[in-house]
Amino acid sequence: MERQIINKKKRVFSVEPNKIPPSEVFTRKYTRLLVPALKKLNMNKNSSQANQLTVKHEVDMALALSAQEFAWSRFLLQKLSSSNNPTTTTSSSSNGIRIQKRSGKEGGDEDGEIEEKLRELQKLLPGGEEMNVEEMLGEIGNYIKCLELQTIALKSIVEDTT
Amino acid sequence: MGGESNEGEMGLNHGDDQSGISRVGMPLYAKSDPFFSSTDWDPAVNVGGFSSSHYPSLAMDNPGMSCFPHYHQTGSGSGYPDMPASLLPFGDCGGGGGHFLGSDKKGESVGRLVIAGDGHQVSDDVVLGGSSNRKRRQPEAESQWNKQKAVEEFQEDPQSQKKQKNDQSKEKMNKESSQSDEAPKENYIHMRARRGQATNSHSLAERVRREKISERMRLLQELVPGCNKITGKAVMLDEIINYVQSLQQQVEFLSMKLSTVNPELNIDIDRLLAKDLLQSRDRNTPTLGLNPFARFQGTIPNISTTTAPQYNSLPQTTLESELQSLYQMGFVSNPSTMSSFSPNNGPLKPEF
Repeated sequence: MERQIINKKKRVFSVEPNKIPPSEVFTRKYTRLLVPALKKLNMNKNSSQANQLTVKHEVDMALALSAQEFAWSRFLLQKLSSSNNPTTTTSSSSNGIRIQKRSGKEGGDEDGEIEEKLRELQKLLPGGEEMNVEEMLGEIGNYIKCLELQTIALKSIVEDTT
Repeated sequence: MGGESNEGEMGLNHGDDQSGISRVGMPLYAKSDPFFSSTDWDPAVNVGGFSSSHYPSLAMDNPGMSCFPHYHQTGSGSGYPDMPASLLPFGDCGGGGGHFLGSDKKGESVGRLVIAGDGHQVSDDVVLGGSSNRKRRQPEAESQWNKQKAVEEFQEDPQSQKKQKNDQSKEKMNKESSQSDEAPKENYIHMRARRGQATNSHSLAERVRREKISERMRLLQELVPGCNKITGKAVMLDEIINYVQSLQQQVEFLSMKLSTVNPELNIDIDRLLAKDLLQSRDRNTPTLGLNPFARFQGTIPNISTTTAPQYNSLPQTTLESELQSLYQMGFVSNPSTMSSFSPNNGPLKPEF
């Protein structure tokens, strides 16, 4: 592994040597934020429940801080800072149910259905409800990407420690 | 002002004085929506857009509003804050309008939005001449995008001016069109009614907005794995929602796992990153080689190979190229913050 790292050092960007691809930027920021935070957390081991919450909090915080170019990260930061308890970014089951219900409607309701779904999507995105739809759709795109990167990072952290 | 009253009445009955300003209320909207807009503007495709050089303050004030300074009848910069939402659809007309322009060439609808210059009546040459300074200010202020387009538009059919006028009176977007003599200097964004569709200004605006939304949804479609074959907004939205939810659930699950697992105190970040990026890089190289900073369309092959449920493997294939195109569109805030740390300075295309 060390060898690989050293070899990578020798590589250069082919197209834009001075730029680091943004996904890498994000990933780096993210892991660099999260890992020390986790280490700090690890020092004081609380109950597992509280620990979970704080870990989630740290995870979200790292996400928001690593993606500050995007509007949703600001909203996420606001949410996180306003409450000590981490707000979960998942709103899983209820939304799923609602979506299935909506898909039963047909015909003239189609536009309304789409509006409903757009609103659902807005709820998923931090701060999505404060944006208009077009903006939200744009933000959702990069939110998805950052989430994906985040999952990769988390996975590798977890794998690294198990 | 009196002498210019004629030109003042673009289809918007706009207060002419500020027409120049209001026209300019279009910042480079390539930047207004970095996520989707492309940095390589095809001049034939790009729509509207003022360089902020002449009207920096206004450009700053309304980052979201690109295309239609004349949208509102108040016509002044103050009109914009009142309706950010409605202007926004046009704010991205480059992204959306680009496609419109493409379709326009087929003789179909005109998504092209042309910011008409002042004054419309052909008879008002004098007036036009008088106001030409103001009009010319605008084109100079504008980016080079639409110049060729405007030229060809205005030179193609003087008789369409009447139609345009009709449309104009119905749509707030259109400024005047009829000065073909002004054509080379103007950048115009025409919003023509499609065949068989209402030319109501509201419905036109609505349609543009909807098209913009569809445009974004198409881009999202390329992001979300397994959605390439889906047509239809509703299903697509479903997929997106499900995907986002599953991603969030994954994050939650992983963070729970993380909380239960004791992180080693010696997590080697670099090693982590090397492993991380190595994985993503390897999977990305086939597509990255094609188009490193491509727009999302360029990464389609990446996505289509993966199936939706396998979220764990998916992100690694799509992230690098996609996110970098994302950033490349104008975001990159601090790309090199971590450069000092990283052992992996050659992530994407080492073999090039």
